[in-house]
Amino acid sequence: MTHSPQPVTITSSWVRIASVEALQGERPVIPVTAFGQALVLFRDEEGELGLIGRYCPHRGADLCYGRHENNGLRCPFHGWHFDRSGQCTEQPAEPEDSKMYKMIRLPSFTVVERDGAIYAQDAGALPAAT
Amino acid sequence: MISQQLNDLITRIGPDTAAGAVHRKYWQPAALTDELPDAVAGEPPMLPVNLLGERLVLIRDAAGALSLATREAAADEPPAHHPARADIKLVAGGPTYPVVEKNGICFAYLGGGDAPAFPNFDCFRAPESHVFAFKGLWQCNWLQALEIGIDPGHASFLHRFLQDEDPSDGYGKQFRDKAANTDMPITQVLREYPRPEIKVEETDFGLKITALRHMDGDLTHVRVTNQIFPSAICIPMSREMIITQWHVPIDDENCYWYTMFTSFQNPVDKAVMRAQRLKEHSLPTYAPLKNRANNYHYDPAEQKSLTYTGMGLDINVHDQWAVEGMGPIQDRTREHLGRGDAAIIRYRRMLRKAIKELETGQAERLPMQDRQATSQLVGPLSNDAITGSEDWLAASLAADQERRSAAPWDAHI
Repeated sequence: MTHSPQPVTITSSWVRIASVEALQGERPVIPVTAFGQALVLFRDEEGELGLIGRYCPHRGADLCYGRHENNGLRCPFHGWHFDRSGQCTEQPAEPEDSKMYKMIRLPSFTVVERDGAIYAQDAGALPAAT
Repeated sequence: MISQQLNDLITRIGPDTAAGAVHRKYWQPAALTDELPDAVAGEPPMLPVNLLGERLVLIRDAAGALSLATREAAADEPPAHHPARADIKLVAGGPTYPVVEKNGICFAYLGGGDAPAFPNFDCFRAPESHVFAFKGLWQCNWLQALEIGIDPGHASFLHRFLQDEDPSDGYGKQFRDKAANTDMPITQVLREYPRPEIKVEETDFGLKITALRHMDGDLTHVRVTNQIFPSAICIPMSREMIITQWHVPIDDENCYWYTMFTSFQNPVDKAVMRAQRLKEHSLPTYAPLKNRANNYHYDPAEQKSLTYTGMGLDINVHDQWAVEGMGPIQDRTREHLGRGDAAIIRYRRMLRKAIKELETGQAERLPMQDRQATSQLVGPLSNDAITGSEDWLAASLAADQERRSAAPWDAHI
């Protein structure tokens, strides 16, 4: 969902959100503001990019300080873990039998890398298939 | 998730707000006794105080009596503004409020009419030698600051140490002692058992919150903490000390924590406790040196190897990051509370009930408004215990009783 395997033509509907270089440090996690939203951009352990909501949907902690682990980002407040699609995959403080995490998903956006830059597109803004 | 309208109702505390009216029915920490300057050239000591959206001055008159008066302030004054003595101008005929000093904190009552009684809690009835008070600035609304204190689950994550320190180095710090009567550091219990079973009961003063961590070997860790209405908590710090902490609004988007560290058996080493905390704060505003502007000294390498946050070993900084990161007023229209948030949900219900009762002229129905009954309130029990018994309640009471009976002051409950 985040990294298109097909060549993509960058048109005006794509927004440049960062340079590829910005994610080349020890910790590939940076804040991004795009589409009127506070977001966090990161590269997971599979090398794929995720662009998801910046604030934990639990109680609003800032995922830019999230633990970069388990192929995603983990909120330091209560350990909620998110993958690059924004899907919550674990809620380790909730009771063992809780399935609440399945219902929790952060907003996420399609991301591509082109010529040293990272572009994002609002999935909702994609033209209808013809 | 709640509506924007409800979020506004329960967070905003200015002079003409519903939640502000609730706060004003209670004694509020206004300043540390340590902050009061000495009289200069016969002029009475004056200390700027910013409380509940009001711009005030704490004055000690020639006879030693304390009171709060209103001072002139520009509309764009910074929230924790601290004008010099020469720049303080009182508002002639402005509101004044009564102040009572208790074990290092000057409490003010802004509610008009008769002030309520002080409960006979440990922090108030212990002798001055056994209580140390300090404060710190958090740049966010008071409610998110309070809510982290009634959330027993977060300590297993936010305050997780990936390696344990030697508990004998932990004097005066939270979560550094051994757990109850075991050799296990409390940090290890929190780390290994992250899904506490949480029980919440309403009490005469607020809420009793019990977090049960069911451990290997049929042991149960029982941690009892409390919400004291409207803005305080009372929690264990070590086997020797408890913490009573208020989250006092400066305005809608800033608050001070005021803490009374209360020791049962031995007098508090105030010089050590003060030095530990002065090292982390800048006076006169008591703003923490680690803050949003310097990313709380966040270190990604430390986050991988030593602490869950990468922000050092001081757990106050972790809490500060969590609550300030939510923004000036947490947007609760986007929150998703879980079962671990049981006490938060219960507290908001209490606050809404109090708002309703005040609006319908039933102030006497709010917690701790009856003078006679409130002055009889003792405790509350705040304790960590580990037991092999199924009767964890009895074990919790017995462990608490042990340190209370060792206290040289009347700590009975």
